[in-house]
Amino acid sequence: MESTATNALDLLPLLLCGAWLTPLASFVAILFFGKHMGAHGKTAGLVATGAIGFSFLLSCIALFGVWLPEHPLSGGHGHGGEHSEEHHGEEHGDEHGDGSHAALGGSPYQLTALAGGGDGHGDHANNPAPPHINGEWYSLGEFGDLKLTIGYYIDSLTVLMFCMVTLIATCVHLYATGYMHDELHDFTDPEVTLDNGELLTRPGRYWRFFQYLSLFCFSMLGIVIAGNIAMVFVFWELVGICSYFLIGFYVERKSASTAANKAFIVNRVGDFGMLIGLMALWSSLGTFSFGDLKNAEGEVVEQGMFSQLRTEENDYKLVPTESMAVEQARLSSDSEGEEAAEGEAAEATEEDATEETDKSGQWLLFIAGVGIFCGCVGKSAQFPLHVWLPDAMEGPTPVSALVHSATMVAAGVYLVGRFFPVFSPEALLVIAYVGCITLFLAATIAITATDIKRVLAYSTVSQLGYMMLALGLGAWTAGIFHLITHAFFKGLLFMCSGSVIHAVHTNEMTEMGGLRKKMPITAYTMLVGCLAIIGAGIPLTKIGLSGYYSKDAIIEQAFSFFGENPGHSLLLVAPVIGAMITAFYMFRLWYMTFCGEPRDAHRYDHAHESPSSMTTPLLIMSFFAIAVGWPFLGLVDLLEQGRPIGTQATTQGVLLPSLVLPDEHLSHLEPIKTQAGLTAFTAAAAGLLLATVIYLWRALNPAEIKQTFTPLYRALWNKWWFDELYHVVFTLPTLALGKVIAAIDKNLIDGLIHASARGSRGVSKVVELVFDRTVIDGSVNAFARGTWDVGVWLKRIQTGSLRQYVMFIAVGTLFVYLAATVVWLS
Amino acid sequence: MEEGIYWPTFFFLLSSAVACFFAFMVLVSTNIVRMAFYLVLSLAATSGLFFLAGQDFVGAMQLMIYVGGTLVLLIFGVMLTSQERFVRMHTSGGDWVLSLLVGGGLCAVLVLTALGVPEWQAPERAAVEAIALENTATPIGMGLLGARVDTLSVEDEVQRGGMGGYLLFFEIVSVHLLVVLVGAAYLARAKRKQAVATS
Amino acid sequence: MSPIFASLLTEPVGVFHYIAVGAFLFTCGVLCMATKRNALGVLMGIELVLNGANLNFIAFGSKYLAGGDAPLGLDGPLIALFVIVLAAAEAAVALAIALNFYNNFDSIDIDRAEQLQG
Repeated sequence: MESTATNALDLLPLLLCGAWLTPLASFVAILFFGKHMGAHGKTAGLVATGAIGFSFLLSCIALFGVWLPEHPLSGGHGHGGEHSEEHHGEEHGDEHGDGSHAALGGSPYQLTALAGGGDGHGDHANNPAPPHINGEWYSLGEFGDLKLTIGYYIDSLTVLMFCMVTLIATCVHLYATGYMHDELHDFTDPEVTLDNGELLTRPGRYWRFFQYLSLFCFSMLGIVIAGNIAMVFVFWELVGICSYFLIGFYVERKSASTAANKAFIVNRVGDFGMLIGLMALWSSLGTFSFGDLKNAEGEVVEQGMFSQLRTEENDYKLVPTESMAVEQARLSSDSEGEEAAEGEAAEATEEDATEETDKSGQWLLFIAGVGIFCGCVGKSAQFPLHVWLPDAMEGPTPVSALVHSATMVAAGVYLVGRFFPVFSPEALLVIAYVGCITLFLAATIAITATDIKRVLAYSTVSQLGYMMLALGLGAWTAGIFHLITHAFFKGLLFMCSGSVIHAVHTNEMTEMGGLRKKMPITAYTMLVGCLAIIGAGIPLTKIGLSGYYSKDAIIEQAFSFFGENPGHSLLLVAPVIGAMITAFYMFRLWYMTFCGEPRDAHRYDHAHESPSSMTTPLLIMSFFAIAVGWPFLGLVDLLEQGRPIGTQATTQGVLLPSLVLPDEHLSHLEPIKTQAGLTAFTAAAAGLLLATVIYLWRALNPAEIKQTFTPLYRALWNKWWFDELYHVVFTLPTLALGKVIAAIDKNLIDGLIHASARGSRGVSKVVELVFDRTVIDGSVNAFARGTWDVGVWLKRIQTGSLRQYVMFIAVGTLFVYLAATVVWLS
Repeated sequence: MEEGIYWPTFFFLLSSAVACFFAFMVLVSTNIVRMAFYLVLSLAATSGLFFLAGQDFVGAMQLMIYVGGTLVLLIFGVMLTSQERFVRMHTSGGDWVLSLLVGGGLCAVLVLTALGVPEWQAPERAAVEAIALENTATPIGMGLLGARVDTLSVEDEVQRGGMGGYLLFFEIVSVHLLVVLVGAAYLARAKRKQAVATS
Repeated sequence: MSPIFASLLTEPVGVFHYIAVGAFLFTCGVLCMATKRNALGVLMGIELVLNGANLNFIAFGSKYLAGGDAPLGLDGPLIALFVIVLAAAEAAVALAIALNFYNNFDSIDIDRAEQLQG
């Protein structure tokens, strides 16, 4: 048994390496021979699809043939998942307060069940590193201490991500062979008008599209398999450039090329932060590697960053290393001179174990964590860098489905999950707040959007916010679980929207309606997607669509977190309200597209169901959107197996001692589960009901509602003015600076002399005009005008409408109550 | 003790369901005549709740004064103004959404706050069944005349002094009612001709 | 589930249940006042609000709901009585005002009563 285990596991890197490199081979082949593959490269699609399908096959072998036999899920097979979960709940319920918990299942790898709990703030048994294998394939070079290698780090998360990415990519490839058939002959772009007033006609670029898709799959899989951060960063950038190519696929369209630029530049902002994080980690830890590197005899030659930061002596708790403390002391005293630095550094090393230096290195750790998170903010389109994702919908729809919903934006969440052991509780709090703000802002914007793909794009941003929130609250499993379920149903939703767009040739929902009769498969698979994303299920049972499990898990953790930190009530309120808004806009989308009367008879008459190459992936994906979360399939158990080192116990902040991150398993206790399940269900049902009342029954007129909330509507329609804000704050000053410099350049020589003469004449005028008339007269006038304006403005509150006054009273009461609650709690 | 169905609770559920349902119907109905009818049912069901709380005198007054008197006044008003165009009046959708949001928040806040007070939860069944039946009209009547018979058992002289009767309030309310009725009659007097003449 | 709901039908109800019903009536009343354009509809909303409040007084004055001495004692039912009487008086005056408004403006729509607009 022992020897076969080693052999089989040795096979794993080979299998995944094969799965990783096949798309690269396809990319190279299409790059050189794409033009000659059949008419307009028709075979290229088959090559790329075959390559990714082969990758999927290899990944499946890796998961079902190698990983699962070696690391069986807890509680055996079949209904084991469900069983162990119930068992878990009982354990906690019975021994709440004792703190010690029995291990579950028979597998030696199921150490994760050692939960900290009860009264504990982290002084309980913690989990060691999950089962993993890591190593190096090839060394790129060594520069002093700096070692650059191509390596791998494989645990259950890696294998699972491989299967998920390749499965969705295969579906999308298949779908794209149908969707992109316009490119098989000369393509007339309806949105590009040449100078002579004719539409642009160019040769089709079918093969090039698949070339980029293959490169993208290769880079994404590279991030997943990477064994060190340097490699992650390289593939991170490769994903970015693929995204740039694919968004700008219709490069002749101005909007597409602008969107591609925007995506690329905004991502660079985040990557800058990521570089800072990488430097902070490398300079203090001296390694890029995740896991321990061993030589042929099995001795550890280089400690990985996880085991350096979470050592066995410290019970796998996150403790900064001595080198970190030294580094921080050096950095913080740089300005005070070399001498002090040395003194403090020495002091720090000597008294490392004492109370005073407990915080040493924590700040560096915090900066490293937030820095790495910055990269994820850019890639996963989190606030404030979320502006690029909706614009990225300019790319073809398969790109939206693959790149901007299921995989690339998932890379950011995946990276947070991978680096989870490195994040201190304070950094996690930052992540939670960013996620929380993102999910709320994006959800509100989605309410007013009328472009079907934009609604989905904002919903993606919002769901990514949910994942970040879950990770930030310490719910590693819930966050990654939602990542996987979301990938399926969002990929499905995007492909459905692509099918609709393919049929009616417009993105505007205001020109659709009633399409259910024309394209039933698309309509009902999309309904499945909508139900999955709002987390439809029967509350208090284990029956529901995939989103039901993952979203409930997130809200459970939010409740659990709120119980420990009542000051952070926003982190509970936002996801609940967000769930309501999600249900509202998703069904607004569905009703507007598929129900009611056709709004545009011409488009309706020409609509038709899509070809089977497009509907087959829809059916496959909707099957997964329904079933992937079912407990007896054991997805959660597989994730639990990959739970990162030392994230089991309840932990407490060091820089913010009042911050407590509760153990994730505590959130599955019965009272919290009931509360969270009912809350989530009520919120989703309320949103669904509101959408039904307004858009299906038409009991309330949307136009009237729009009128009542005009200022709010305007803010949402303009996406909270983020684009305008960035335009004013960043773009305009840059342009202005350029102009100023140009002006100086031009006018420097003669302008100087003229200016001095004009200046002295001007000064006397200015004194008269500016000071006398403007300053003295103006200030008096401005004060009078200001008073008048305030009066006129305040007058508007006095509407004279009795009903409005009643609303003022009710809102005022609510406000006073909420204010009192906030003051009371803090 | 055998836990059979506790009938007062059953009737509480029944009455409160009727009261809440018809109150909600008053809210969503657009026809003013139907609203008045629903209101009668809701208030009658509320008087049932009063009886169940052991306040039979107040319950009776609710039925007589409220359902019998006040609502007749309201229905008068409905009849006097029920021209065709005022029977149904449409409110804009935006107002509905806004008020449903605020109302939902208000209701949630009120109920959640009440839920947070442990003393307000249900008492033991045995404790309730041990309470003897009493006359409720007598102490109320004596209280209105200025004598608190229900405080006679209080030992402390000073404390008992603080629990006076309600004679003064009774007088104030009586006079107030008189003034209001006179004022209402004066206000409602038809003076349209005069108004037209001056304007 | 919470003990409040679990033992329903076999256990007596408490003050909380009355407050919950009262809160619902109160909310319905407030929303009536906010959404009805007919002045008499607003009046009905006020009646509902007063009833919701009355339920609270009754609940705090009841021995059966407290399982012993009531927090308000005799004050509860008496204040409730006063509220009923005041509601009657208020209805009379409000009706008079509504009729007056109807006579002068030939309408009962309170959205037209906005002469106090600033």
